[in-house]
Amino acid sequence: MAAILQGLQFYPGDSFIHRLDPRAKLLISTTFLFITLIYVEVTVTTIIIVAEALLAAISGTMRRWIKTVYGSIPFIVAVFLMNYLVRMFIPGQPPTQVILYESFAAAYRLIALLASFSIFFLTTTPEEIGMTLTKLKIPYMYVFAFISAIRFTPILAEELQTIMDSQRSRGLELDKGNPLTRLKRYIPILVPLIVNVLRRSYELAEAMEVKCFGASKKRTYLKELKLRPRDLFVIILTLISISISIYFKFINPIKIP
Amino acid sequence: MIRFESVEYIYPNGVKALDGIDLEIGDGEIVTIMGENGAGKTTLIKHLNGLLKPVKGKVLIDGIDTRKVTVASLSKKVGIVFQNPDDMFFSENIWEEIAFALRNFGYDEEVVKRRVENAINFMDLASYVDKSPFTLSGGEKKRLALAIVLAWSPDIIALDEPTIGQDILQKEKLLQVIKLLNSQGKTIIISSHDVEFIADLKPRIILMKRGKVIADGNAEEIFLNEELLKSCNLLPPQLITLSRELEFIGVRPRLYSPRELAAEIMTRLQR
Repeated sequence: MAAILQGLQFYPGDSFIHRLDPRAKLLISTTFLFITLIYVEVTVTTIIIVAEALLAAISGTMRRWIKTVYGSIPFIVAVFLMNYLVRMFIPGQPPTQVILYESFAAAYRLIALLASFSIFFLTTTPEEIGMTLTKLKIPYMYVFAFISAIRFTPILAEELQTIMDSQRSRGLELDKGNPLTRLKRYIPILVPLIVNVLRRSYELAEAMEVKCFGASKKRTYLKELKLRPRDLFVIILTLISISISIYFKFINPIKIP
Repeated sequence: MIRFESVEYIYPNGVKALDGIDLEIGDGEIVTIMGENGAGKTTLIKHLNGLLKPVKGKVLIDGIDTRKVTVASLSKKVGIVFQNPDDMFFSENIWEEIAFALRNFGYDEEVVKRRVENAINFMDLASYVDKSPFTLSGGEKKRLALAIVLAWSPDIIALDEPTIGQDILQKEKLLQVIKLLNSQGKTIIISSHDVEFIADLKPRIILMKRGKVIADGNAEEIFLNEELLKSCNLLPPQLITLSRELEFIGVRPRLYSPRELAAEIMTRLQR
């Protein structure tokens, strides 16, 4: 789980991808998501994953990106097993090889799905995400809630670690006993965590009020987002690939191996 | 006895927090680990009960390799009081909070009762027994955190930044508790950058910087070495600065107590 989160956190850098306009990056990620959703074929999924990996490599965030993929393995296995087992027991299904292949395709697509937004989050600062969402006419209150959630995730993870260290030093053994008693052992960890989160949210609310949050409806930024030629180039390229994928899927369907 | 043998620790994010630490701390010693933020003090303390295991080298507590036993079994020997007490409280009242660790360690209910009461009396918490830990003030929380650890009476007690957010009176009390515990033969390890507090204790000081031990000696030796302190972003205790200023009347710079310095000034002036 933690590995997935790492792949969704901003990773500083100065690559071509980092310098792109966040809206262009959002469009790229959405395109990956869209194409993955409309095509089920393994070939297309592979192309998407390769393209995602390529972008990750260009932006110098390859290691983090791989972590996202790696962290999602439990989900991928779960999707594969669910698909396979459920269809095995439903009468009137195609032969086993076909089910196996289709279950594999579904699990494989999940990699592309989970990794598609990794590129966006890895190379975009929370501030830029905020600006993008504001530009998309989303009310600032929701934008703020969203970016502070992103911003507080690493802090929360650190705090969880400290709490676990504290309680283990008091003789708490988390991996002992049957699943039910093990669950009970998490109470000494969850209570301080929740109390600390609540306390922090009150502090944040006070700090925001001191800074007159919500006093003016229209929010402006010091740095305005501006589309430069290279952003336009990327956007046009992305739109072309979306059009091609729509064309071959809906208007003039072709058989993909 | 605690032994660090060329211990190296690297956090998962690639930060090298300990870089070849060789250390020996005898039974009944008071040791202070000093150094700026990020020097590796807390990381070092977390190695004492096996919360962190060395990537290279080894840590031996009374000859036991920390990599070979569980945190729970080592914690019985090494009690760590963490910096922020809010990270440990979860019980309804103070009594239960202190009893939690004792029950984890498998003591009889009767022993638990006796030890909780001892800890409560020792740390002066008797008037709060039925209160929730969350309603305590900052100073009381720190006292409770210490009481929790003292309840199972570990041989080695490590305090991570015990003076942060404490007023003078609380610090005074903490000082007395530390001295008392030490007189009972406990090994005390304190991480801190509260120079004045440490000066009162006159312990052995281990100075850390970027994961390395850069100096190890008695308090006076370290505090008189201005250059060394400066390189760690520390100032010498005020009494040392004052004795330096008084060198012109013949006062020798030393780690005096206030009374000693006053006497020294008097004798110098009378001459």
